[in-house]
Order: sequence, then structure tokens, then C-alpha cells
Amino acid sequence: MNLNYRMKTYKRLFSYISLFLVTVIITSCSGGNTNIDTSTRIVLAAYTTPREAYREIIPLFQQKWEAETGQKIIFEESYLGSGAQSRAVVEGFEADIAALSLEADITRIEKAGLITHDWRSKPFNGMVSTSIVSFAVRTGNPKNIQDWDDLVMPDVNILTPNPKTSGGAMWNILGLYGAAKRGFVENVIPEDEQAAQDFFLSVLRNVSVMDKSARESITNFEKGVGDVAITYENEVLVGQQAGQNYELVIPRSTILIENPIALIDQNVEKHKNRAVVEAFVEFLFSPEAQEIFAKHGLRSPDPIVAERFTNQYPPVEDLFTIEYFGGWDTVMVEFFADNGIYDQTVLRWQGSNQ
Amino acid sequence: MIEKLFFLNKREKFYPEAEKPQGRGTIWARRILIFVVIAYIAGLILGPIITLVISAFEEGYQAVLVALSQPQVLSSMWMTFWIAIVVIIVHGFFGTVVSWVLVRDRFIGRGFLNGLIDIPFAVSPVVVGYMLLLLFGRNGIFAPVLNSLDIRVAFAVPGMVLATLFVTLPFMVRELVPVLEGLGINQEQAAATLGASGFQTFWRVTLPSLRPGIIYGLTLTFARALGEFGAVLVIGGGIIGRTETLTIFIFRALDDRQYISAYSAGLLLGLFSIVLVLGIDWLRRRAEN
Repeated sequence: MNLNYRMKTYKRLFSYISLFLVTVIITSCSGGNTNIDTSTRIVLAAYTTPREAYREIIPLFQQKWEAETGQKIIFEESYLGSGAQSRAVVEGFEADIAALSLEADITRIEKAGLITHDWRSKPFNGMVSTSIVSFAVRTGNPKNIQDWDDLVMPDVNILTPNPKTSGGAMWNILGLYGAAKRGFVENVIPEDEQAAQDFFLSVLRNVSVMDKSARESITNFEKGVGDVAITYENEVLVGQQAGQNYELVIPRSTILIENPIALIDQNVEKHKNRAVVEAFVEFLFSPEAQEIFAKHGLRSPDPIVAERFTNQYPPVEDLFTIEYFGGWDTVMVEFFADNGIYDQTVLRWQGSNQ
Repeated sequence: MIEKLFFLNKREKFYPEAEKPQGRGTIWARRILIFVVIAYIAGLILGPIITLVISAFEEGYQAVLVALSQPQVLSSMWMTFWIAIVVIIVHGFFGTVVSWVLVRDRFIGRGFLNGLIDIPFAVSPVVVGYMLLLLFGRNGIFAPVLNSLDIRVAFAVPGMVLATLFVTLPFMVRELVPVLEGLGINQEQAAATLGASGFQTFWRVTLPSLRPGIIYGLTLTFARALGEFGAVLVIGGGIIGRTETLTIFIFRALDDRQYISAYSAGLLLGLFSIVLVLGIDWLRRRAEN
């Protein structure tokens, strides 16, 4: 009796389960915007800091392209930390263009087989913008932070993003480490790995917040957290343009940040939009777009455009590039691989906290 | 049997009258306690809400209206509601079935299943997003099948629905299981003896008693689905206008320094959830009196 009663109920329930599944599947299919013409759409996967520049460049390109071909181009943009964005593309985010903070994040996409052309053959080795690692300090610089040494003073509260997700964070660490190794930090013996690592540890001890991306880090600084944010020069300049009151401090020695851009072949093939995506990439390297980048705090890799903005971007006493460390391939292994210099230093930091 | 009936009767008085305190010392202790409780809840809940309201209206109510009528806000709002609706349809059905099976049946692995249901409470939503990427991503286990069928789950809406389903699973079940246990099987057996079919019993006897529980469970599920952030960001990629929910929009607007937009959207989302939860609470209390 009891069993019979159960069997019947289950049969009914089953038919209802299938009915519901069908409805859900139907609603999912009709609800998603599946009818996008991908050939007139560009999906941009970018890191967080150049968004203000893209907001100005994209409409300009749209107008230009429509004037030339009569086609209206739709842009879909996503802004995440460079590392997170790079992993998302590898995991299947079908972006047509990756505009990331550092070369290694493009290389990851390349190694996954999604980029098949030589993106470094573009102007300036595929680097669409540059910047430098610098500091944002409170108005009037109350803690008198002028250079890397000052970061290790007691009760200096530092913000820098997390290198596991943010490209900016990696640049920050390399800027600091390089400055120390090149003899621009007091009491650190030049070219001494151990001394540079010890200096890095003392800076880490003053770090209070590690955000997911460079942008999140600076907006938290704006909300009143910390005394100094290690960040891209362009982040400070864009923040000031947005009406924020803080000051830019450029250390004597710092690293040149080079931000690559690359068309992602496999996704472009799938979307059948190669012509327009290539045109957009070309446009980004044009003096017109380069000037917009320069207006939004980024140093142009184009010497002619850079010449026009020399007042805005003072030269750095000792500017070094990623090549000082032997390029990104070496850096990713030595610094940021599991158990690399970064992990080791963090372990020492956590060990000393307990 | 008698115990069960007794238990049933007791359940009906859900909110017993507060007993009068005895002695002067107790009165003061109680007053202090009440004050502490009010201060605690007000500080924790009302404080942030009031700050949000003030910040949103800093530039006047027109700025809020302008902010809320941006196409990106509207599309993300639509996305959020649509996901939440699908989620409550699915959980409304499966949540009820799962609770019913868990309470009324005994089978091998029941305890394990029961434990599994609580996992979404324990796992961080960001991790949920990454787990789904491992399944549905380009190198995921299901990638060959999905590619051949040309179905996109990761970085598309279906993935976001799945993530929200995962995160909201326990709400219905944890709401219904105690109710079902409290009901007992007497009425169901009575219906069966009187010749009702299994389905009739469920539809006419069990379901009506479950209705308040189902409504409350669905409300909680809906509110939680509206607020989900980490899992949908990871699996959806936060593509503006395509996989951007209201919470992801708020996150991006804060990064964009569009503070009025962020606060207005936050206020809208918060208000909706609050009205929903308070409204249902009021309905429930009215039904019980």
C-alpha cells in the first residue's frame, strides 16, 4: 500500500521534472541574446587602468569606421586585473583583443594557442602605452615620502595590489626590487640579491591592503586608507583629473611599464571580424589615439607624440626596463612562479608576523 | 503518535507572549539588554543603509534618476532579475522535491546528501565560479561536448545561472525540511486511506501546508540571487552590457569613480531586497495570527 502510493507519486514527479527542465531550457535559449552579428562587434578584454582612454578612443574609432565603410561597430568591454583577464581569455572568454598590463599575460594566451600571429611585429614591439611605477601620497606629503627608502619608515601604511591577480602589482614589485639592486636605496648593497630581497620584505611589512587590481587599490587609497599607494603613474594622473586630491611622487629609480595589446586570432576567426579588429589595433597605434592615451596619463611609446607631452611627463633619473631582469620569461619563473622570490618573501613576512 | 500531535499543537504558537519579568533587578537587566540589541542591530544594519542613501542623494534626486536610467544600469538590472527568476523557478521545484525526499524517505547516502546541500554555505562564491570554469571553460571537462553543440556556458548567461543556482541551493531546503518534519505523515496517510492518489495527496494535503515555507524559501533564494557577486563575476567575466549584473555594475562603477551611479544602483538593489524580505515577513506573520 505504502509502496504503491510512493511509486505513483514518483512517476508524477518525474513527468513534472522533465516538464520543468524543458521550460527552463526553452527560457534560457530565448532569453540569452544569441542573435548578435559578431562580424560587426569587437570584444575588448582589458586591464583596469586605461578605461578612461578607451572611453574616448572607442567612439572616435566607431565614427571613423562608419564614415569609411558605413558599418556600425558595437563594442563589448571588460575591465579586470590583468592576470585575471588573461586567465579568463584562456578559459574561454571570447575576446577579440587583449589589452593587458604586461607581456607575460599576453604570452599566456599565446601559449594556449589562441594567438597565432607575431603580435610583437606591431609598432613599438606591440606595446601600445607605457607608464612608470610611482607613488600617490596625501596632499602636502605629510609623511614626506620621496623615494623607495621612505617606504620602510615605521608607521608608513602602504597600498599595493596583489600580484596574483594584478599586473600593476608585479610592476610595483619589480620597480622596487630593481631600484634596490641598482643602488638607489640607502643601506642596500648594489647588485646584492639578498639585500634587495630583505628590502622588499621590509616594504611588505608596511603593506596594509592588497587589492585585486591597480584601480581598486587607488580608489581604496582615495577613500582614506593608507599613507602611500604604489601604482602606475597614469593611475595617479587619471585620479587627479577626476578631482581627487593627492600628489604624485616619482622615485629616482623606477621601471618602465610597457602595456602590450594583441589581436586574438582564434576568437577573431570564430567571429569573422578580422578586418575591423585589425583596423582598431592599427588605430590604437596612430598618433591620434596615442595622444588620447597621453591625455589620460599614459606615456606614449611614440617618440613624436611623447615629445609633445614632455611637460606632463618629467624624465626619470634612472629608468630601467624589464630587460634588466632578463625579460618576462625569466621574471615569471624567478619572481612570480610558485615558490619564486615573491612567494618566499611573503612566507618570511607571514613567518615574522606570528 | 500522541507526542507528535502534541508537537503539532505546540508549533501553532510560534511566537508566544513575552513573559512578564519578575523583580526590579530583572527589569533593568532586560531594559539594558533591549537597548543593546537595538543598538547592535541598528548600528549593523541601519547605519550602512542610511549612509548609502545619503551618498546616493548627495547631488539631488535627479542625479539618481539619471544614473538609474543609463542603458548599462537597465541592462544589468534586467540581467539580474532574469537570472533570479530562472533560479526561483528551478529551486521552487527542485527545492520542494529535495526536501520532500530527504524527510519522507530513508536511503543509503541520505545523510551525505543532506550534508552536501549545506556546502554552498561554506564554499566562497569566487571558488564556485572557478569550479564552474573548470567544468565549462575552454579546457573544461565539458568543453568538447559544448563546442560541438555550439553552446556557451562560461562567459555567458547559462554559466551565471548555474553559479547562482549553486549558491542559492540551501535556502529552500533548509526552510522546508523543518516544516515537513513538523507536519508528520498523519495527514498524508489519512488522505491515502481515503483513496487519494499519491499526487492528489501531495497537491492537496502536503503542498498547502508547505505554502508559507515555500514562499519564504523562495523569497530568501530570490534575495540571495539578486545579491550574488563573486561567482557570477568569475564565470561571466563582467562583460559590459552582456554578462554584467547589477552587483557587477556597482563594482565597475566604483572603479570608474561613478560614485552616484554605484550608490544609486546599490540603493535600488538593497531597497528591493528589503521590501521583499520585510513584505514576506509581514505576510507570514499575518498568516500565523
